[in-house]
Amino acid sequence: MNHTKGGLVIFTANSHPSSREMGKRIAERLGVELGQLQVYQEANRETRVQIQESVRGKDVFVIQTMSKDVNTSIMEMLIMVYACRTSCARSITGVLPYFPYSKQCKMRKRGSIVTKLIASMMCKAGLTHLITMDLHQKEIQGFFNIPVDNLRASPFLLQYIQEEIPDYRNAVIVAKSPASAKRAQSFAERLRLGIAVIHGEAQDAESDQVDGRHSPPTVKTTGAIHPSMEIPLLIPKEKPPITVVGDVGGRIAIIVDDIIDDVDSFVAAAETLKERGAYKIFVMATHGLLSSEAPRFIEESAIDEVVVTNTIPHELQKLQCPKIKTVDISMILSEAIRRIYNGESMSYLFRNIGVDD
Amino acid sequence: MPNIKIFSGSSHPDLSQKIADRLGLELGKVVTKKFSNQETCVEIGESVRGEDVYIVQSGCGEINDNLMELLIMINACKIASASRVTAVIPCFPYARQDKKDKSFFDIPVDNLYAEPAVLKWIKENILEWKNCIIVSPDAGGAKRVTSIADRLNVDFALIHKERKKANEVDRMVLVGDVTDRVAILVDDMADTCGTICHAADKLISAGATRVYAILTHGIFSGPAISRINNACFEAVVVTNTIPQEEKMKHCSKIQVIDISMILAEAIRRTHNGESVSYLFSHVPL
Repeated sequence: MNHTKGGLVIFTANSHPSSREMGKRIAERLGVELGQLQVYQEANRETRVQIQESVRGKDVFVIQTMSKDVNTSIMEMLIMVYACRTSCARSITGVLPYFPYSKQCKMRKRGSIVTKLIASMMCKAGLTHLITMDLHQKEIQGFFNIPVDNLRASPFLLQYIQEEIPDYRNAVIVAKSPASAKRAQSFAERLRLGIAVIHGEAQDAESDQVDGRHSPPTVKTTGAIHPSMEIPLLIPKEKPPITVVGDVGGRIAIIVDDIIDDVDSFVAAAETLKERGAYKIFVMATHGLLSSEAPRFIEESAIDEVVVTNTIPHELQKLQCPKIKTVDISMILSEAIRRIYNGESMSYLFRNIGVDD
Repeated sequence: MPNIKIFSGSSHPDLSQKIADRLGLELGKVVTKKFSNQETCVEIGESVRGEDVYIVQSGCGEINDNLMELLIMINACKIASASRVTAVIPCFPYARQDKKDKSFFDIPVDNLYAEPAVLKWIKENILEWKNCIIVSPDAGGAKRVTSIADRLNVDFALIHKERKKANEVDRMVLVGDVTDRVAILVDDMADTCGTICHAADKLISAGATRVYAILTHGIFSGPAISRINNACFEAVVVTNTIPQEEKMKHCSKIQVIDISMILAEAIRRTHNGESVSYLFSHVPL
């Protein structure tokens, strides 16, 4: 470590014990102790953060994983960052393996672009740099006016495929909807495998499909406005029956995606692939949100294994469903922290990453 | 009133409805829910283009969730071209971690006072109010208490913590005479209620005939309700900045002052560009 600068301090501002795992691992790899900090919720549910060591002139890294209580995790981070800023920290880097609200990054009807709101709040609180992993949309980097390092989990997932799936050379990388085709393509290229794309399954209500509504909103009932002022209505998209483009007969199917949250679409895709002749079905995703009944649905489905990284703690879900496996990515986060602190180049961490990953 | 819309967050729908009723308006349509991954989702259900929007959200219950909901709603209204967005926050969260001072904000802040409503309640509900004594449970509230005492033309007292020696626990000392008087404790918020319950004991043992507690924000977290039930209060009165229905079921001593008319009047005056300072000393009908 470079000791001529103020020094490095790593904090993890999570109050939930399972969320502190990542922070502990990273600190271990870097050979430093986690900073002394108290984060807790008071009786009236307000979050309180008390830093117990000096951060003046130091490079602070705040590692924050998103727990079940997303809003509380965000608040803990904001309070922590602001406290460091007002205590004259030299720089404050946020390490958020999973960036919250990343699925609400587009305008939906009369909603709000929450990702932009959170980006603004973090910058205003005093964040000077952000390290995250596999942003849902790369454009989210543009919401920030500070440098953002969007690391990739794909090398780890690729390594898992090559080491843990014995006959992976007989596999096909599958995109469960056309939206994830580019990601499937970048995986397939690096493994020298073919791809398949599933098209036509019902989109769930929570998907970030832009509904084409900009201002003014399109009028539904044509009777209400003057006939000469009719604005042509947007034709609703037709949903074709489920088709699989590509051949999965007699092969292992590996579905890749960035987030696995509500598993309905994955389970449906697995059914389809099984019907078309796939003999084993894997799901590889970077962020395993696995909310509510997901573990049970996976257990009962045709999916053989679900592989996620430890960006989001999911111990409870693993207990409920033994099909879920974890890949540890703390190595790349700690390497990123080390390089940023020492002012070294980060390009080594991005070698072998295609344009579409 | 044209061009005005009032939306309610999910923290205190009852108060929002009362405010809307007083203004003769319907609450705006908005859907607030949480996705299965616990992320908040807000969708405004009607047009707010060019409207003067008021969002009512109190900092109570799950504070971080309600705060995020408020921020997202404000953001959504701004993006939907509302002409002005005003947040109505009856109980401001995180108020004890830093002062809720006007200078901390870049935008106009109207900090309303419950005092007029408190005075009205005292005159209407405490028979011997002309001979009562207003007490502050700590030295910090002296200004608040003297203001009320002056307007009622009654005496005041205060309780302060005295530490005799380094390792000794604070002693509570009553400054003022409460013998044979009805004592009314006044404070801005009641959280765990440790302080006011001790204060009540002190007042009774000093000769007060009855003890009332009037607090603007009734947070009542942790052991608060059981402490109140075991203490010697005649009544504990709070405003409805924070929903109290659940807590009233567990404690019969809690009474509620409705302050929806103050907020409604503030909204009406702000919308019409009138002065809000009338509300600092009067309760609207």
